[in-house]
Amino acid sequence: MAHTLPSSDQSSDQDKWDSGGLECKGQLLIKIVMRNRLTALVVDGDTTCWVLEQELLHSYGVQTLGVDNSRDAVDLIASDAEFNLIIIEKILPVLNGLAVTRQICEIGVRCKMLEVTACSRESERQAFLAIGVDVFIERPLDPEHLVPILRELDGQ
Amino acid sequence: MDLAALKTQLKNFVQSMFEEGVLDNQFSQIQALQDSTNPNFVEEVITLFCNDAERIINEINRNLGYQNVDFSNLDSYVHQLKGSSSSIGANRLKLACANLRQASDERNKEG
Repeated sequence: MAHTLPSSDQSSDQDKWDSGGLECKGQLLIKIVMRNRLTALVVDGDTTCWVLEQELLHSYGVQTLGVDNSRDAVDLIASDAEFNLIIIEKILPVLNGLAVTRQICEIGVRCKMLEVTACSRESERQAFLAIGVDVFIERPLDPEHLVPILRELDGQ
Repeated sequence: MDLAALKTQLKNFVQSMFEEGVLDNQFSQIQALQDSTNPNFVEEVITLFCNDAERIINEINRNLGYQNVDFSNLDSYVHQLKGSSSSIGANRLKLACANLRQASDERNKEG
């Protein structure tokens, strides 16, 4: 496994992980200029996914809040917190993703809703789209899918 | 071994994982997210992932050890593992989860 280097100077942080893919780095994180400061809520029980999604959104200047269970998500929305974008995972602690999404839509939230999940069956996809989810994406959440959505929210 | 040699070794190791299909493009995305404001991002995410994955794999093993396997319980663990492994770019692990899910759907304990 990878060794933790005893000392690392700032300038070589990227070098640490350079695997020849660095020349395409520019293409990997599709560069866009955001006009507005968007806000997003990430609802995901799995820490790894949650951290990654937040970081990806941060890199595009989106202010994000993350919760790891359904109850907190519903409480947050019910307390009138406003978001431009909500990203929800299908399987969550407390209530499942479908039930949470339904509750959020019932509260009357009108922002863009993105469902991100690992394996999905067509019936599940249809169920989510039927209750008001705007986009259903299979993991991983990548710039290719995210950027058009951010552009749309930013009015570009 | 000096620092430069260690760095080269790490670089080669990661490269070979890409070539063998252990890692995929998603891992490159994560590397691209690391910058001066977040200098240890890749390391942190990998650590997080390994801790979570170990826990989940232990649960999966435990479940499979039962006489009557609870496949729906197993399914949610596999789902979670597939989710985090595909988010981090652990390609082979993601594919293994897909296979496991398939077998689980068929209630195939042997598979």
